[in-house]
Amino acid sequence: MKVSCLQENLSAGLGDVGRAVASRTPLPITNNVLIATDNGRLKLSATNLELSITSWIGAKVEEEGVIAVPARLLTEFVSSLPSEQVEMSLPARSRSLNVKCARFEANISGADPEEFPPTPTISDGLEVEIASDVLQMAIQNVAFAAATEDSRPVLTGVQLELKGDTLLLAAADGFRLAVHEAKLGSAVPEDTSVIIPAKTLSEVSRIASGQEEPIKIMVNAGKTQVLFRLKDAEIVSQLIQGTFPNYGQLIPKDFATRAIIDVSEFARATRAASIFARDGSGIVRLQMTAGEGEDGVGTLSVSARSEEVGDDEGKIDATVEGEPAKIAFNSKYLSDVLNVLGQGMVALETSSPSSPGVLRPMSPAEGTTYVHVVMPMFVQW
Amino acid sequence: MSIRVLKLEVAAQIAAGEVVERPASVVKELIENSLDAGATQIVVEVKGGGLELIRVVDNGAGIPAADVETAFARHATSKITSARDLDHIHTLGFRGEALPSIASVSHLELVTRSADEVAGTRLELRHGSVTRREAASRPVGTTVVVTRLFQNVPARLKFMKSAATENGRISALVSRYSLAYPSIRFSLTIDGRASFSSPGTGDLKEALAAVYGPETAESMLVVRGEWDGVGKVSGFAGPPSVSRAQRGYITLFVNHRSIQDRRLTYAVEEAYQGLLMVGRRPVAVLELTLPPEEVDVNVHPAKNEVRFRREREVFGLVQKAVREALVESAPVPRAGIEASFTGGPASPRTPLASDLVGWARRPRADASEENAAPIMGPMKALPVLRVVGQVNNTYIVAEGPDGMYLVDQHAAHERVLFEKVLKERKERGVQAQGMLTPATVELTPLQEEGLGPLESLLQEYGFAFEAFGDRTYLLRAVPATLSDRSPGRAFVDILDSMLDAKGDDPQEATIAAVIACHSAVRAGDTLGQEEMEGLIRSLESADNPHTCPHGRPTLVHLSSSLLEREFGRR
Repeated sequence: MKVSCLQENLSAGLGDVGRAVASRTPLPITNNVLIATDNGRLKLSATNLELSITSWIGAKVEEEGVIAVPARLLTEFVSSLPSEQVEMSLPARSRSLNVKCARFEANISGADPEEFPPTPTISDGLEVEIASDVLQMAIQNVAFAAATEDSRPVLTGVQLELKGDTLLLAAADGFRLAVHEAKLGSAVPEDTSVIIPAKTLSEVSRIASGQEEPIKIMVNAGKTQVLFRLKDAEIVSQLIQGTFPNYGQLIPKDFATRAIIDVSEFARATRAASIFARDGSGIVRLQMTAGEGEDGVGTLSVSARSEEVGDDEGKIDATVEGEPAKIAFNSKYLSDVLNVLGQGMVALETSSPSSPGVLRPMSPAEGTTYVHVVMPMFVQW
Repeated sequence: MSIRVLKLEVAAQIAAGEVVERPASVVKELIENSLDAGATQIVVEVKGGGLELIRVVDNGAGIPAADVETAFARHATSKITSARDLDHIHTLGFRGEALPSIASVSHLELVTRSADEVAGTRLELRHGSVTRREAASRPVGTTVVVTRLFQNVPARLKFMKSAATENGRISALVSRYSLAYPSIRFSLTIDGRASFSSPGTGDLKEALAAVYGPETAESMLVVRGEWDGVGKVSGFAGPPSVSRAQRGYITLFVNHRSIQDRRLTYAVEEAYQGLLMVGRRPVAVLELTLPPEEVDVNVHPAKNEVRFRREREVFGLVQKAVREALVESAPVPRAGIEASFTGGPASPRTPLASDLVGWARRPRADASEENAAPIMGPMKALPVLRVVGQVNNTYIVAEGPDGMYLVDQHAAHERVLFEKVLKERKERGVQAQGMLTPATVELTPLQEEGLGPLESLLQEYGFAFEAFGDRTYLLRAVPATLSDRSPGRAFVDILDSMLDAKGDDPQEATIAAVIACHSAVRAGDTLGQEEMEGLIRSLESADNPHTCPHGRPTLVHLSSSLLEREFGRR
């Protein structure tokens, strides 16, 4: 093998596949990254058997070849090189990869590429295309709500539903639920739903960032694997088997109080309150009061208190309909959702201090809807 | 059937039953007699669990020849003269029952000489009646030899445990006395083998070393408590690292009298709450000094039970003193790395004098320094630590004023959360986080049975649940600290540990400990610098930073001097 490429391209490619490198594994070969020439490009692959990421980078191929080398070693070495041309060569029947860049030269002992697990491919089953930014936004709005604790495996995943020309992502961790709907470019031939590990989707979103070309999603016929084809990368992941909770019934149908608030103001008040809430289990208390008079402006009060530290209250103008209401949330859950909502106005709907609160953006991106449900904390007022 | 007054020896045997229950009680009565006679050296020898032979030799005052027979008359005693004296008992014995009772169920030989006589007296009795009396030579003091114990009481004989059990009881008894009387030399020989001897130097520490071994003795903490002018408690309590799997390592004395008192023992165990691992029992030797009118020792013929006039104050005194000793000066476990670093086993430590001299004062000195430090409250014994890094994703390496500390991240976090949960509970109820999708838990019949009585307590800790049929329950809310974790498992764990817990373990602490355990970071979790610093800071301000709620240590200290030694700098 003899190839050369730019240091920044190689470093970025290694960074993309790096998340799939196994850390603690009974199969040492999966600590490696597979480097292969592929149709005039350089192909980098890593897998932890659940998640495989392949990335292609532009390279000048003088001699074909393939080798598996320790992923961390190579990644760290390459990232410390100056941004110049990197030349990699592997003499025939050798396992030692020679890497040259500027006045650096390294020899890295590799492993037999034959032992490297083959990257799964999907040839049958469902195939659908979606705009990159639409998918990225859907993932960002939903993936954080998935559970990190694996006591209920389905909750560590994100439900992906393809129905007609809509794509729906839903995630819940037992305390909150996020549901995002968006339009697909075209209708799917067959309605499908699968549960994708939230980690996989985060990787897709990370690698796709900055990409304008649409992303192709493929699910195999057995519904055991999903493949995301990006411009210069492919991500293949096992699917989580099981039944996702019926989230539709978790979204309250009506409300007693509704406040419409500016997201960034709400986020700032929540951030301030969180500082005081740190000591007291992260409780942020919300109180909504309608304005007085005809077009009086109502108030949303965001407060927190801790026995030792002290207390804080922030007041935000709000359009409040319905009864005055109180509800307390875990500051983390509240700031998580406010962070993804970003800007604009959001509606906060509540029925009682002990029933779920609902947040909906007032002007979501075109063709999308988003709803976030959070269970409150039960506190003494 | 006509009613008859019992024959003398029958009555004597019945009375003996109360005092002389087993060989150990014979030893006890004889030792107490020796102590009351002012002996400074007491040699005990037993064979066959005490049934074959019990010999107690002392260097006490001895019995004048003229009084020797009277000593074996019932209710004959030199220790009190009138009923009024019963309120001011300073001697161990006073009932005048011991010798006649023992004599009535054995063959007994007594050799004694009092200081102002030239010759001693030997008296032999069989089942209470004198068979021989002669002059005998003996240094001042008394020797009592008891043989053929209980041979004339087959019923009692039948209930004797194995010789090994009886030997065990006797040896426990002698060690107890050696702790109550550190200035008296005790020695015990069992079946011809020297089993135990105490130095008799008057230093309790050395007596402790003789009973529990030098290492345990060295780690014991000084307990001292005062009850405004009325009485005081003193002695030693083991640090949490010195614990036993069984009860019976709490030795209590009231005015030098060894006593057994379940409630007082419980008071001591309570003081260890949250410091010992589940199922571990503390080691303590405590002496209560109370004016005679505050204690009634005339409760039971064997005198190992007493009554306190003001029980609650006494228990409070003991518990507080022990707790203070633990909290103030609980030393951080030192890393015993000598063995592993130098290859060979650590050199066996020589127990006595040089090592132990001055020990008793040391922990007090530490504690007072701690108190003198202006910023620290009396409860805070942890120095300010600077986080250096993480080892194995399990231990936090920190630097303190005197060397290096290794902190077990899980244990430390557990301790912090444990105190937080208990505090929240005390202040305003534990914060509960509602569940959007209830977690389902399936219980075993046993767990379900245990759930009923706990329902309201669990609710106070933030669990809300409802039955869903078939021993399945839906969790509607969980304590907020648990919310990132797996609340269902924690719920089942709480039920299990409550079922395992003995009746006297406080339920509150058990629940809080399980919640803390499930919420804490695990070994293997990678922590960022900030997280580690936050954890160390919280641990510094914990009331009880040295152990996790199950009693495992949270940190290990490698002192600067130890490091210097290991690197050969000193």
